[in-house]
Formats: sequence, structure tokens, C-alpha cells
Amino acid sequence: MSATVSMRDALYEAPGPKTRKRVLVGTAISLVLLALGIAFVIRQFYINDQLNPKYWSFFGRWTTWRFLLKGLWGTIKVAATAGVIAMALGLLLMLGRISPNKLLSSACHVITEIFRSLPSLLLIYFFFLVIPKYGIRMPSFWMITIPVSLAASGVLAEVFRAGVNAVPKGQVEAAMSLGMTHGKITRKIVLPQALKIVIPSLVSQLVVVVKDTTVAYVVSYPDLMQNARVLISNYDALVSMYFVVAIIYIAINYATNQFSVYLAHRMGTQVVSRMDENPV
Amino acid sequence: MSIQTSMPIISMRHVDKHFGQLHVLRDINLDVAKGEVVVLIGPSGSGKSTLCRTINRLETIDSGEILFEGKPLPQEGKELAAMRAEIGMVFQSFNLFAHKTILDNVTMGPVEVLHRPRKEAEAEAMELLDRVGVAAQAHKVPAQLSGGQQQRVAIARSLAMHPKAMLFDEPTSALDPEMINEVLDVMVELAGMGMTMVVVTHEMNFARRVSNRVVFMADGQIVEQNTPDEFFDHPKSERAKDFLDSIKGH
Ligand SMILES: Nc1ncnc2c1ncn2[C@@H]1O[C@H](COP(=O)(O)OP(=O)(O)OP(=O)(O)O)[C@@H](O)[C@H]1O
Ligand SMILES: [Mg+2]
Repeated sequence: MSATVSMRDALYEAPGPKTRKRVLVGTAISLVLLALGIAFVIRQFYINDQLNPKYWSFFGRWTTWRFLLKGLWGTIKVAATAGVIAMALGLLLMLGRISPNKLLSSACHVITEIFRSLPSLLLIYFFFLVIPKYGIRMPSFWMITIPVSLAASGVLAEVFRAGVNAVPKGQVEAAMSLGMTHGKITRKIVLPQALKIVIPSLVSQLVVVVKDTTVAYVVSYPDLMQNARVLISNYDALVSMYFVVAIIYIAINYATNQFSVYLAHRMGTQVVSRMDENPV
Repeated sequence: MSIQTSMPIISMRHVDKHFGQLHVLRDINLDVAKGEVVVLIGPSGSGKSTLCRTINRLETIDSGEILFEGKPLPQEGKELAAMRAEIGMVFQSFNLFAHKTILDNVTMGPVEVLHRPRKEAEAEAMELLDRVGVAAQAHKVPAQLSGGQQQRVAIARSLAMHPKAMLFDEPTSALDPEMINEVLDVMVELAGMGMTMVVVTHEMNFARRVSNRVVFMADGQIVEQNTPDEFFDHPKSERAKDFLDSIKGH
């Protein structure tokens, strides 16, 4: 049994000599453009005096980094908590929606659509401005985490549902004809396969959660963005600070994506190694 | 061949069904006796699969009634599931559980539905897999098996539930020609052991050799039914003659 083909191999045929030449030329042109782009940015920084040491020297101080790291930790806490809540809630909403109970199903459908279509900022304002009016006080951590969770849960419910729909219907019918009930079929046949299918989209959705947390400043929760804003006003260093923060966000999301690639790969190889155990 | 005329195990009375505007089943009346093998035959789109699937309520019906062992099919819930557990079904596309091993596919029903102890269920599953000739593949996943092997596993999976009747919807149509016989052989053996079977198939040799009755459908209706020899050698209706001509052409 041969190993599974990677997505790349499946989508593209092996390049011939002409294609190889074209790829080479393309790569060269891209590199030149990239270098030009970087040169342009540096030039603009220079022209606008953004390379002035006063905008960068505070990055040499430990306190700056400690403050940013504290913010980063805040971001990670919110994103991780929101991610877990959103996944649990999204799963529940999806399970409700596919349930044979019509009332439960339509209720979950409506809730999913609401969470999915409301901008998370609107939900945040609701928790920040409206709810306190009715005497409900909650720490700023929850004022950002709950709305971000709710918004993401709507999307995740749809992601899970896509996974459930991707499980061949015939397997469900086979399980039904064995006399399995809806709940058993969901647990034993559908979910195990659906979850495997959705892992990559699940992780890319978590990237969106991380990005959603950047509006935490609205509720003054000290996340990475909020702390960066504090530093910006202290040092009057707008461009350099945003530049560094952007790189940190890119790094987090790159790491998240790599994790999804790793997971998908691991699950793929699991099947392969199982096949190797019992060669045909 | 004589079939006892006691109460039929499956009984369809004036069954009608639509898919939207399409009238797929028209006043279907069909009794299947215990131990009888009925072959359903007819042109594509005539409603054979639909008829087959109404018997374990994978498709609902608009009107009429279907009785299993004299009792109307339950409409939903645990009762419906319990009734389905007594009727085996084998599909054209095998429909094995892709994430489970062959052994787990066969023990799924006994363990999850009949609540048999796993050890016991596995022992019986191995016997069944042995009987259909795929015991050596027990620890593989379905994707590693040939179509013929998968279909034999699907039959073993149904048998593990000790069904009182079995439905087959074109069990060999998705198979490469050289694998058709290995599946038919298993079905012939089952029929020989007295299993009640409703089989949608175009395998005329199988129908002649094994079935007690051929039911010919067209446009959602049962047009004629007869013993296989009578039906294949002396079809009465024009539609059946045309149909037989068309499949003999192959
Ligand atoms: N779920 C469905 N929704 C709408 N129409 C359907 C559905 N299933 C089947 N049909 C239609 O009902 C008619 C009967 O279908 P059925 O599958 O029972 O025919 P069949 O005799 O099994 O044909 P085949 O030999 O092609 O399997 C066909 O015209 C088909 O297109
Ligand atoms: Mg069919």
C-alpha cells in the first residue's frame, strides 16, 4: 500500500522542463519585487524620520518587552478561553441543529445565524454598554471573551455542520438499518469522522478568534493591542510599535496555522501507519 | 417451489409515495412469505430502490401500510430502531463505516444495539467473516479491501444482527465483473439456509437459480410477477418483454 499522496501532489502534476524554467523566472521576479518593496518601506521610514532612534530605542528595554509580553499573555488567555467556549458552544449548536427535534433544531439554527451574522464588535458593545445598565457587572476579561466566543461559536457550528455533511450519507443509513438510534449514530459514526475532516478549518477559525481579541481595548482589557496602545502614547512611537505588534500577531497566527498543518498531517499519517501494520 | 401460505413476514398494502410531483410508488401490494426470495427487477427509475427502502422505513410512505410480521412499521424513535434491527440491509455502495476496522464494522450492531459483550460479539463476528471469506482482513479498514470483499463484509455486518429478513439493493452493481460471483455465492448460500430476502438485481442467473418469485416494476407500479422461469421465458406484458430484450442485449 503506497503512502497517501499529499494535497500538493494530488493537485499539480510533476513539473516538466518548461514549467521548471517558468517557475525559476517567476521566483526571480518575485524576489526582486520583494527586495524593492522592503527598500521602499525603509526609504519611507527614513523620509518620515521613522528610523530615528527615539522611536526604536525603547525596544531595547526589558520593561517594554515585559509589558508587551503581559499583553500577549492577555491575548492568549482571551483567545484560548474564547476558542474553547466557542468550540463547545458551536458543537452544541450544531448537534441541536441536526437533532430530529424540530423545535430544538430551528432554535439552534436561528441562534447560529444570529451569532454568525452579528459583527463581534457589536456583541462587545452589547456586553460593555448594555448589560452593565441592567446591573450585571463582569470583569473586562469576560466582557471581551464572551462576545468573541459567541461570534465564533456561530461560525464553528457551521464548520462542524459542514464536517457532518461530509460524512457519506450511506454510512448513516447503514447504521440506521442496524437499528442504531440518532444519538448513537451521531456519537459512533458521524462525529468521529466529521471532527477529523474539520480540524484544518477549525484551526483557521481560531486564527479569526485571535484577531477578534484585538478589539479588547474597547473594554480596556490589557491584551497585546491595548498594551501596545499604552506604549504608543508613552513613547509617541506609533509606526514602530504597530510594526512590531503586527509581526507578533503574524507570528502567533503562523504558529496556529502550522499547528493545523501538523495536526492534519498527523491524522493523515495515522491512517497510513495503520495500513502499514497490515499490508494487503 | 412451494412457499408456506401462513402470515407473510413483509406485507405492503396499497402503498403510494411521491417525491414532490413524481409518483414513485403507485398502489404497491406485495407480500413476502417467510423464507421466500423475491427478486425486484425493472428499468432504471422504476422505483425498485424506493420500494426496498420503504420496507425498513429509510423512505417514508404517503399512504397505504407496510406490515412486518403482521405489525405496522413504527414511525419513529426506539420502536422504529428496534424494528430496523430485525431487517438486514445491503446497499449498492457497501456503506461500511470508514473509520472502523472490518471487525468493528461487524460488531457495531451487536455491541451498540443488542448490547452483547464485546468479546462474544467479536468471536461471532470472526465466524461470520470466515463464512464470507474475509476473516484475514478483520483488522484492516474498509478502504483497504476490494469492492467484493467490502460487500461481503457488509453482508456479514447485517448477519451479525440475526435479521429475520434481508433487503439487498443492487448489491453487485458497483462491483467489477470478476467480483460479482463472490458476492452472489454468499447470497445463494443465505437463500439456501432459508433467509427471507428481497433483492433488487439485474443478475438473471441469480434470479433463476435462487429466487422464488420475480417482481417486475415499471413507472412505480408492479406490472407483473411470476416464477423466474415463467417470467424470463414467457413474460406477459409488453413492458417486461421490452425490458428483457434490452438487458439481454448486453
Ligand atoms: N430522494 C429522492 N428525491 C427525489 N426523487 C428521488 C429520490 N430518490 C429517488 N428519486 C426518483 O424516484 C424515481 C425512482 O427512483 P428509484 O431509485 O427507486 O429507482 P430504481 O428503480 O431503483 O432505479 P435504478 O435502477 O436506477 O436504481 C427516480 O425517478 C428517481 O430519480
Ligand atoms: Mg435503485
